[in-house]
Amino acid sequence: MQCAEFDLLLTEALDGTLAGADMERFQAHAQVCSVCGPLFAEIDGGRRLLKSLAEVEPPARLVNNILAATTGLDTVRMHEPAHARPQLSWADRARGWMEPIFAPVFAVVKQPRFAMSFGMAFFSISMALNLAGIKLTDVRHLDLRPSAIVRGYHMTAGRVVKYYENLRFVYQMESKVREFKRVTTPAEPAPNENQRRRENNNTSGQPDQRQERNYSQGENQPVLAFAPDDPPVVTGTTIRRFV
Amino acid sequence: MSGDAVAWEEIVQQYHRRIYNICYRFTGSTDDAEDLTQEVFIKMYKTLNTYEAQRGAFMTWVTTVTRNLLVDHFRKTKHDRATDSLDTPASEHEDALPLSEQIQDTSAPPDARVQSRETGDTVHQALQKLSPELREAVILRDLQDMDYREIATVLKVPEGTVKSRINRGRAELARLLQRTYRQVM
Repeated sequence: MQCAEFDLLLTEALDGTLAGADMERFQAHAQVCSVCGPLFAEIDGGRRLLKSLAEVEPPARLVNNILAATTGLDTVRMHEPAHARPQLSWADRARGWMEPIFAPVFAVVKQPRFAMSFGMAFFSISMALNLAGIKLTDVRHLDLRPSAIVRGYHMTAGRVVKYYENLRFVYQMESKVREFKRVTTPAEPAPNENQRRRENNNTSGQPDQRQERNYSQGENQPVLAFAPDDPPVVTGTTIRRFV
Repeated sequence: MSGDAVAWEEIVQQYHRRIYNICYRFTGSTDDAEDLTQEVFIKMYKTLNTYEAQRGAFMTWVTTVTRNLLVDHFRKTKHDRATDSLDTPASEHEDALPLSEQIQDTSAPPDARVQSRETGDTVHQALQKLSPELREAVILRDLQDMDYREIATVLKVPEGTVKSRINRGRAELARLLQRTYRQVM
């Protein structure tokens, strides 16, 4: 066996997995080689020394410290009997349940750079509510039923429309628009001459209103061929009709 | 306690001793070992969802996390150490002799101190003299009984390199202790 082959089999020999002819050749080489033999002895000696090291017992508080650093749970309290633990109120339980959810949000909010932004936002909102006349104390009197909300919406919409239409500026603009439309729309054409004559010769229809008015002193009045010297004085009442 | 918290506590109970021993044997200090063990579990807690069973055994994953944090710790404390490891070669060449071979110790043997020290402490201290690469290999093989394939996965080197480092570490440890015992004699 050569030294190179000896090096390759070294680990197997130390682990005890080398057997048979390979083991015999390995041991034979170790006995005759001035380098491989001492090397094998050194390595085997070091392995035995390391194996002699006992496992070290960790500190008793280590597990609790790890659990406290990871889940934040106090296992000593967790394993206490129920009667020894103080009973938590529903508020404490709710707080414990919500804290892991909101803690990162509050951690961000508490940073100085965000505190100023939130302060300015709060100031702006309160100013806007003040100017609009909204008081937060009125919120408790609000009727939040769906029908009330719908009614409120329609009332508000009506008020907005009415306010808008009553604005003088809006009225002025609307009148200008109407005038502009009137100017730009072309005028209706006058009826032509033929159409007017046709209307005058048409005797099939009702008699002319003017003629009837002039001779409406009575249907039974005789029609004289000539005017007498003493025309009778006819008194009659004329009725003016305003059409 | 919720089911997840119970399961996590079981993991901590099962692995904290092993991780503590790896950290203690590597750093040589109980305080550092305790701090590092906590850091390992905190890291595990945060990255537990990244563990994939098809990639390897859970034990291997735990050991990889531990080893990575030990490497980070070693790099951070490199400047705090008074001397480099005696195994550190004087040059970058592979065949260069380690410091332990080059330094001639001419001082008187500390008989009183050696007599009062147990063999385990002696070996433990000699272990700190090894280079980090050899130290982690012998700790994982001879103290934690991991097989070569798992160690290769943790250290991210081939199996042949793992075996070579383990044997060199054992031999170096023996030489260091022989030098110490020779001084006693």
